[in-house]
Amino acid sequence: MSRSLKKGPHVDLRLLAKVEKQGPNKEPIKTWSRDCTIVPEFIGATFLVHNGKTFHRVYCTEDMVGHKLGEFSPTRTFKGHSGGKAKAAPPGK
Amino acid sequence: MPRIQGVDIPPDKPTHISLRYIRGLGPSTALEVCAKLHIDPQRRAKELSDDEIGRIAALLGGDAYLVEGPLRRQEASNIARLKEIKAYRGERHRKNLPCRGQRTKTNARTRKGPRKTVAGKKGVKDLR
Repeated sequence: MSRSLKKGPHVDLRLLAKVEKQGPNKEPIKTWSRDCTIVPEFIGATFLVHNGKTFHRVYCTEDMVGHKLGEFSPTRTFKGHSGGKAKAAPPGK
Repeated sequence: MPRIQGVDIPPDKPTHISLRYIRGLGPSTALEVCAKLHIDPQRRAKELSDDEIGRIAALLGGDAYLVEGPLRRQEASNIARLKEIKAYRGERHRKNLPCRGQRTKTNARTRKGPRKTVAGKKGVKDLR
């Protein structure tokens, strides 16, 4: 079920504040709020989004508005099945 | 045989059913199209006059509906966008796996295609 429009998008307010007070230097912001929606204010900002283990660098572009930060920080690694040599999917993209 | 939006030719069914053979028209939009043009949805498609077919084609060709080619193009570009921004759903599309959180341990055959049996895996002997 999708989120009620009445509430508006879920945005981590502390994260939004950090983005807004950020000057032109644009340091990546470490964050754990994977559920935070990317709002237009985030365009051009860089985040380090936690995936449960490490931080994944996410640079926000216009296309990403409306998605959540967590969508860009994969939580699983699949390195192929055992024994499969030719068909094993290469790690990463 | 009526021909609307390129290749679609469904003759012996009621008009509102026939229209559903056009990609982008489902049960409710098909009825909506009939109502808008004052065509009885229960009449057979082959009984439609050339004028009526022309009007349907004009309505579907306009901006009000997105059907066939343009619809397919939009679908493809939506997926391309997900892939480009490296979203999770884009990666799932790239790997031809379900994008909406379904299980893949079993099932998911629509996306994964026919089963690829792996030798030596548990249960394989029983199948032979």
